[in-house]
Amino acid sequence: MSIAGDLIRGHTDAIILARLMRSDSYGYEINKTISTLSAGRFELKEATLYTAFKRLEDAGCIASYWGGSGAGARRRYYTITATGRDTCHQLLREWAETKEIMDKLLKLEGEQ
Amino acid sequence: MREKLIQYVELLFAGSTVHDEVRQEILQNTLDRFDDLVDQGKSPEAAYQLAISGIGDINEILGTMAASPAPAQPEAPKKWSRKLVSAIAVALFILCPVPVLTFQNELGVCLLLAFVGIATGLLVWVGDNKAVEIRQRQQEDWSQQSELHRSISHLMTTLTWVLYLVLSFSTGAWFITWVIFPISAAVKGLIRAIWDLKEADNHET
Repeated sequence: MSIAGDLIRGHTDAIILARLMRSDSYGYEINKTISTLSAGRFELKEATLYTAFKRLEDAGCIASYWGGSGAGARRRYYTITATGRDTCHQLLREWAETKEIMDKLLKLEGEQ
Repeated sequence: MREKLIQYVELLFAGSTVHDEVRQEILQNTLDRFDDLVDQGKSPEAAYQLAISGIGDINEILGTMAASPAPAQPEAPKKWSRKLVSAIAVALFILCPVPVLTFQNELGVCLLLAFVGIATGLLVWVGDNKAVEIRQRQQEDWSQQSELHRSISHLMTTLTWVLYLVLSFSTGAWFITWVIFPISAAVKGLIRAIWDLKEADNHET
């Protein structure tokens, strides 16, 4: 898991942007989705998640606002910007390319 | 357990300079995780442990904060204004006997003392600012020079006392020999001023 964990962590920005492409969200919700989609095999630490938010916000890819929810809990919501959408598409293209290359490089035998 | 978790996060950020909103965001996410884990049937103790381990390395966050600008240092007065103040102080020292010679009474002496006092104050102020700047520039250089300043000052104080006692005992004119002290202070200030001006020139070149 550790190698896979490191590989996935390397794509934290892309993951966050992809989640925000669907809807605005906040820290724990995004982490919960990551955990659910990976069947509990992967999760980000709060510190890592926060640092990524900060980096993306500084880069103008996302913006944040404070939203209330139910029992008085104030949560910081993140929303994706136009720049963020472009970045996300670019990162997805890069990932598709990386995936294609890795598939070829790691093929053991059989057809090309 | 929930209270304990809040305390834990508060403690985690205690003494750090992070913005209150950052602490609030991390706290809310951690509490969300805790509540979620309890809802899933975890014991509060287990949920507490998992929520804490989910925070990760707080230094990551503190590291991103460190990039924020440091508080600006109070600006030292400009070099030329220091020179001007030094010049005024020196002028006051040179002119300080004038009131005594003019009025030849208590008023003259009072004015002389006022001149010396103001001039010395100005030089101390200039020297202070000078010291700050030099310390910023060269720690070693400064300590050497201040050592020299101090020995000269000690020497002058001793000489003043010797001169005062010798003159007073030999002439018996105790009523006026005390004037040696303000004069000595004036000379000391003058030397200091010349020194400062020379130093400023050296640093400029």
